[in-house]
Amino acid sequence: MKRKTENYLKVVLGILSMGLAVYITSTMFYRVKIDLTDEGIYSLSKGSKTLLSKLDSPIRLKLYYSKTAANKGTEGLRAFNNYFLYVHDILKEYVANSRNNLTLEVIDPRPDTEDEEEAEAYGLKRFPLTETERYFFGLVAIGDSGSEKVIEFFDPNKREGLEYDITKLLYSVLSPQKKKVGILSPLPIVRDDVSPYMAQMMQMQGRPVEQSWPIINLMREFYEVKNLGREAETISGIDTLLIVHPMGFSDQTLFAIDQFLLQGGKLLVLVDPHAFAASMQNGPSPQMGGMPLNSSPDGKFRKLMDKWGIDAMEGAFAGDKYLSGVARLSPDEPPTRLLPLMVCNRHCTEKFKDPITRGLEQITLFFPGALQAHQLEDLTIESLLSTTDKGATYEAYPHELADPSLLWNKMEDGTTPVIMGMKSYGKYKTAFPDGLVIEKKSSDGKKNDKQTKTGLLESSKDGVIIVLADVDFISAQFAFQQSFLGPTVANDNSALFLNALEALGGNVDLMSVRSKGHINRTFEAIEAIEFEADRKTEKKAMEINGNIMRFQQELTDLSKQANQDNMALIQNESLKKKKVLARQIVELKKELREVKREGRERVEFIGKIFQYVNTLLMPIVIVIFGVWFLHFRKKKKRDELTASGTKKLMERSL
Amino acid sequence: MLTPQFKALYKKEFQSFFKTPLGYVFLVIFLFGLGYMTFEPGRGSFFQMREASLRSFFEYVPWMCIFLVPAVSMKLWADERKKGTVELLFTMPITVKEASLAKFFAAWTFIALALFLTFPMIITVLLLGRPDLKIIFLGYASSLLLAGGMLSIGSFFSSMTKNQVVSFILTVATCFILLMAGSPPVLDLLSAFAPKYVLNIFESLSLLDHFESMSKGVIRLSDLAYFTIMIGFWNFSSVVLLNENKAE
Repeated sequence: MKRKTENYLKVVLGILSMGLAVYITSTMFYRVKIDLTDEGIYSLSKGSKTLLSKLDSPIRLKLYYSKTAANKGTEGLRAFNNYFLYVHDILKEYVANSRNNLTLEVIDPRPDTEDEEEAEAYGLKRFPLTETERYFFGLVAIGDSGSEKVIEFFDPNKREGLEYDITKLLYSVLSPQKKKVGILSPLPIVRDDVSPYMAQMMQMQGRPVEQSWPIINLMREFYEVKNLGREAETISGIDTLLIVHPMGFSDQTLFAIDQFLLQGGKLLVLVDPHAFAASMQNGPSPQMGGMPLNSSPDGKFRKLMDKWGIDAMEGAFAGDKYLSGVARLSPDEPPTRLLPLMVCNRHCTEKFKDPITRGLEQITLFFPGALQAHQLEDLTIESLLSTTDKGATYEAYPHELADPSLLWNKMEDGTTPVIMGMKSYGKYKTAFPDGLVIEKKSSDGKKNDKQTKTGLLESSKDGVIIVLADVDFISAQFAFQQSFLGPTVANDNSALFLNALEALGGNVDLMSVRSKGHINRTFEAIEAIEFEADRKTEKKAMEINGNIMRFQQELTDLSKQANQDNMALIQNESLKKKKVLARQIVELKKELREVKREGRERVEFIGKIFQYVNTLLMPIVIVIFGVWFLHFRKKKKRDELTASGTKKLMERSL
Repeated sequence: MLTPQFKALYKKEFQSFFKTPLGYVFLVIFLFGLGYMTFEPGRGSFFQMREASLRSFFEYVPWMCIFLVPAVSMKLWADERKKGTVELLFTMPITVKEASLAKFFAAWTFIALALFLTFPMIITVLLLGRPDLKIIFLGYASSLLLAGGMLSIGSFFSSMTKNQVVSFILTVATCFILLMAGSPPVLDLLSAFAPKYVLNIFESLSLLDHFESMSKGVIRLSDLAYFTIMIGFWNFSSVVLLNENKAE
């Protein structure tokens, strides 16, 4: 009995010491690790490390996580517990790389405590779990100068953006002074913003609310935005100039842009053979006649661009059926593939290895244009965004814009990528070698005074220009999605835009962090099948629509022939025709359904095959092997037995 | 360590899994179950997630292991002790430690084989997309370690009792508690009477947390240490128990 008690004691002691050992090693060795993920999601990127190495004053980090409250919640909160561990881990990496400038404090705010009050005061989001328990999961960074910045809530679904969010937080604590970006555009991108409350009031009163594009609000997080409107006599006092949809600028404005560049200015230019956003600004488009093309740059601006080594191909659109997006043209139509809607993936950016587009996987462009380079002395020109190899340019006329199937048929697959983003840098020459002649009305109003304005003929400092061949990609419609919190980033569009601005602003550290951990691992094989099926249905749908149009034409022709005498006959005839038409359309629609079903079934079939292979193949193999093996063993044993039996018999007989 | 006796026992034990239909039944259930769960039509279904990774596969590995591993481990010692062959075994020139490890490694190899036989999954993702093979490899490594941990627990309970069913149930229960150790409801239940540091220690014992941490693609020393301590401790305990009980 005594011995048994001793044994149990031993076991209990053993379990206790194992628990302790596990706990100690878990906490001690947690940081020692090898990160094998392709994205390196458990390690800091170079940009964050560079930023951390530049730290010269202490920053306090307070991580609020209601662990005790989370434990009272459901099993679903395990994801949050795990994400907390990840966030904590990444923050520890920051601290480790900060040369003792960062300190991290983890706080579990319990109800009715000072911690909870503080968390609320910082503006962290709270979620009630029970009557008393509230759930917090946010970060506060407090700089030496007392400046506070917060991440209100860590969303486990936004794991990819975590490092960027934290680095941005540190960056905003570190450099309260923002760079200045001037915006020059004929489009009303920047407005005097009213407060959300005012906006609501105005809406209630039925007054139109004019607000800046959401991208401007995003820009304001990092930059001081200066609206230059559509004209500028001189451009100064800004670090970067953003030109959106350059058309209709006066000579004076063009001269000012030219001189800004030659003084070492930095330019981000968005041109577009058809800026949908601009068309919308001019009111809704007329119905069947299509909408007028709203293209930039205009002839005057092209002259300026001649000196940049980058040309926007006139009247050419960049198209790529393999990048075409799927959307509905109207709520009651089924979604179709649209050629003008281009969703750029890694195939568009990977090959350039440019920090501006690196890692971006989902850039949505609408009616993008095509760019070309022409070599100039002292300039380096590089591409940064293109279609896939199958891309090509196509022309579109106003009446075709509203008809996606027309454009789809028109474009043929190409063999070389079409460039949609380029940058050039180095020493530029002026586009105004003879200066600018300004006509001014004299005081008496009769005679025009001519005055010649001259400036630099050549760059005094190296300048940089980035040209992107789309305007719509920064508009609310293509870059943002509505959520109950207001517009939120929908894809990598805003990342591309901010990357470009940052590259120009020279803040490369944050740039290399932005597009991290975003590797697309979809079933490419299945996507290819679906794409083919889509193309087939597209063809069929076009055939059907063509037939319907033909029938309708026939009907109208018939009604045109009608007169007093043959009215009854024609009516009868057209009724018959209509019936035939209806039958044929039903027939064709059935075919269309068939084609669609075939595509879907093919994918489902592949899924089933893989399912059967993975659930049944190996078990069957094992059963067959088992039966064979057991049978083989039995036989062997029997043989052995009989062999030994005969041996024994022989021995006995001997 | 690799004495001829160890090798001989290891070989015999490993082969024993294939000498009865039971071994095949385990393999078939494991492979079919895992395959079915991975493809099961639901929100986590492999084919519907359209992600070229084995995430939805590894998610179910612990839950298949919790039944397979105890089923494999239950007979390690309980059977021998019941039949009395354990005495015969220890009359041979083999130490208790060697015998215990030989049996453990033989069973572990059997489970490794079961995991290896899921290779059509790897071929599937390779055909469908471009998976991160390093993560898949780590997923398998962590599955193997998880199975090793459970197996050592099973080996301990098998050496504690003569009854296979008791051994099976005790192992499943212990593994389940260890799997759920990091789960919020369990921690909350515990927090009612246990102080915070006990809670922390208990949480750090979670099999699932260590398994998931590793199968995400990071090799942490703490995870490796955890599995080493687990496997080491339970195996050591089972040797101690066998030494005590071999006379019974």
